[in-house]
Amino acid sequence: MPQQRLDCVDVGSEFCPCYLAETNECITCSHLQGKDFCDCHWRGICIYQEYAMNGYKSKMSRQIFNSQIVEKIRISDNCVIIKLKVTKTLARQLKEPGAYVFLRNNDMKHYFDAPMSIMDTDEQNGYIYIAYQILGSKTKMLDKASKEIIVRGPYWNGLLGKRYLKAVKNENCLVIARGIAQAPANLVIKKLLYNNNKVTFIVDRGAIEKVIITDFIKDLNSENLIIIQEDIKSDRGKSLIKNNLQTENVKLVFSGGSDVTHAYIIGLIDQKNLNPYIVATNNNEFCCGEGVCGSCSTFLKNGKSVKTCKTQINIREAIEGRIISD
Amino acid sequence: MTKVVIIGGGWAGSAAAISAKKAGAEVILIEKTDMLIGLGNVGGIMRNNGRFTAAAENTLLGAGELFNITDEASRHTNIDFPGHKHAALYDVAKVEPMVRRLLKKMDIEVLLQNRAVDVIKKGDNIEGIVLSDESVINGDVFIETTGSTGPMGNCLKYGNGCSMCILRCPSFGPRISISQRAGVEDILGQRGDEAYGAFSGSCKLNKESLSEEIRDELEKTGVCILPVPKEDVKLDKLDMKVCQQYALKEFAENIILLDTGHAKLMTPFYPLEKLRKIKGLENARYEDPYSGGLGNSIRYLSIAPRSNSMKVDGLNNLLCAGEKSGLFVGHTEAIVTGTLAGHNSVRLSLGIPLLELPRNLAIGDIISYANEQIDTKEGLKKRYTFAGSEYFQRMNDIGLYIIDNEKIKRKIQRIDLLDIYNEKLI
Repeated sequence: MPQQRLDCVDVGSEFCPCYLAETNECITCSHLQGKDFCDCHWRGICIYQEYAMNGYKSKMSRQIFNSQIVEKIRISDNCVIIKLKVTKTLARQLKEPGAYVFLRNNDMKHYFDAPMSIMDTDEQNGYIYIAYQILGSKTKMLDKASKEIIVRGPYWNGLLGKRYLKAVKNENCLVIARGIAQAPANLVIKKLLYNNNKVTFIVDRGAIEKVIITDFIKDLNSENLIIIQEDIKSDRGKSLIKNNLQTENVKLVFSGGSDVTHAYIIGLIDQKNLNPYIVATNNNEFCCGEGVCGSCSTFLKNGKSVKTCKTQINIREAIEGRIISD
Repeated sequence: MTKVVIIGGGWAGSAAAISAKKAGAEVILIEKTDMLIGLGNVGGIMRNNGRFTAAAENTLLGAGELFNITDEASRHTNIDFPGHKHAALYDVAKVEPMVRRLLKKMDIEVLLQNRAVDVIKKGDNIEGIVLSDESVINGDVFIETTGSTGPMGNCLKYGNGCSMCILRCPSFGPRISISQRAGVEDILGQRGDEAYGAFSGSCKLNKESLSEEIRDELEKTGVCILPVPKEDVKLDKLDMKVCQQYALKEFAENIILLDTGHAKLMTPFYPLEKLRKIKGLENARYEDPYSGGLGNSIRYLSIAPRSNSMKVDGLNNLLCAGEKSGLFVGHTEAIVTGTLAGHNSVRLSLGIPLLELPRNLAIGDIISYANEQIDTKEGLKKRYTFAGSEYFQRMNDIGLYIIDNEKIKRKIQRIDLLDIYNEKLI
């Protein structure tokens, strides 16, 4: 039987084709998987053509550089927002929802690279804003950095279902973000408002126990943005989500949080028998971001292994084959 | 009512839509680009050699609509050029809107700029076609007329890269093999050197870019023959061509131009610098493919195994036609196979025996003959067309080449198939 076609987030970027093409492991192009004929998930360009035109070699790699920490705001014991100086080009490249970079304390080895969602960017002046929660070895060491930090990027697969964010215009949308997932929610809200959607934003403090997004969204179009703070797991939170789904004819739901949160929200959607587009934070563990190391691999129901640091898959598929724990 | 879904709006798909509609089906035609008739938008040669017989047969069988259109839009009729007699050249700028209007008048639903990407299957039945926007078109019977050309990666691997042909894959996305997605392996054509696929056989020059003398001659006679400088004659180029009916020595030693609105140049590609060395072509530029100086599209990489009634082997409700159904070349070949597939789609839905055209008709014979040959190693390197090469020789040898309309009519009457495509079955 023909294989399921997969969609790599890097297609069409200056980083495609990548090392995976050189090793016949391309996520999207059948020729660059060692097959004889075209059978790709077409994204508007021919990867094989790009590869041939580049002399049958992969294109440039991501930059790795030292970035100055311009500001470091301690939100709570376990949550920090940092403002980093980067090139204007990188700030522009990271402007889209789902963008992320790897950060590392200068003193540490490369295996301390921690993937971090972009919360906001300032492309005029070359800054990025990142919120991180201190959880394990990587973030504990990262938190020790005070002046400079190593940045590697740009990467883009921090969200699953990204293309729906581009497709939805003039509709009602429900954005739900819990805890540190408020960070990626910011660019999502901006994108949806830019496309003239009406956004109901339910923000839950979650494990960081703070609302950190307020300053980032306070100047946005308030006519089209309703902000509600609520514990989404509470009875009130549950009925809030259900009512909104039902009465607002919601076209797109964004779920920002753990896989448990995703499963919970998808459950509420299914109870109402609705079928909105679902965009969700990609919670797999990324290590190299290049589809090489395998740490982000997840198995789909059909047994196929997918490198989720680069592959766009349906969130339902992504959490289907997984044992979910908070 | 039977719902027939046709994937691919080229000549074969358009013909299938017409005959399925006439047999009583509800018809939906899915086409990825913004134009019908596919490569017919840059073709134009009809009625040459045995195609005359095939067009007459199809018309007498009851499906003359598309031939009436190409006749009506002909710039030149009854012209001869090397190896070819009584050709008609239609104006490529006129035909597509005429076909579109006809389909609309017949109440055939045409979905332009909708690209099929996958199938939904239950057992050996296709239940629906998935489009690139993830919507699904359900149906009772499906006809695949997606052709066998491109897409970009194939044109690169087996040719000289995307030459920007009329199929416009970079803009509209790639062709998908529906049968392969449904689990039936494609058959691949080969060229003389056993490489897979073959180059499309002609390019088109912008007529305005040619000298006044050449333009005048084309307008007046339909044909213009210009000798190629000796140092540039390449006989081995003939091997790589799809159109073996034009793979004659004369076509290597001369530039043969035909007037189809553009100046049709009977060679797969020709470097612009060399082309401009020829008197009258000093300012020549390509119209299709835009990069005709470098290459052309690659074809015959996706043929479905089928019966002589055009049903795809291994699937219960998929038929095929045109290049998808064999190593066929040409509009006439696409139209006659498409017509049969369309008619049989309704028979298939009703559970009545499928029509198989007898081998004493050129159409019936080419469908059967191409099917026999595709099973052989040598057969994979050949192309089958009423217009020339091996198959036209066969038509001559076994008396199928007839240019007397009355004689063809008597033959079809004798086998009681006159107007069969006009029978409403539902």
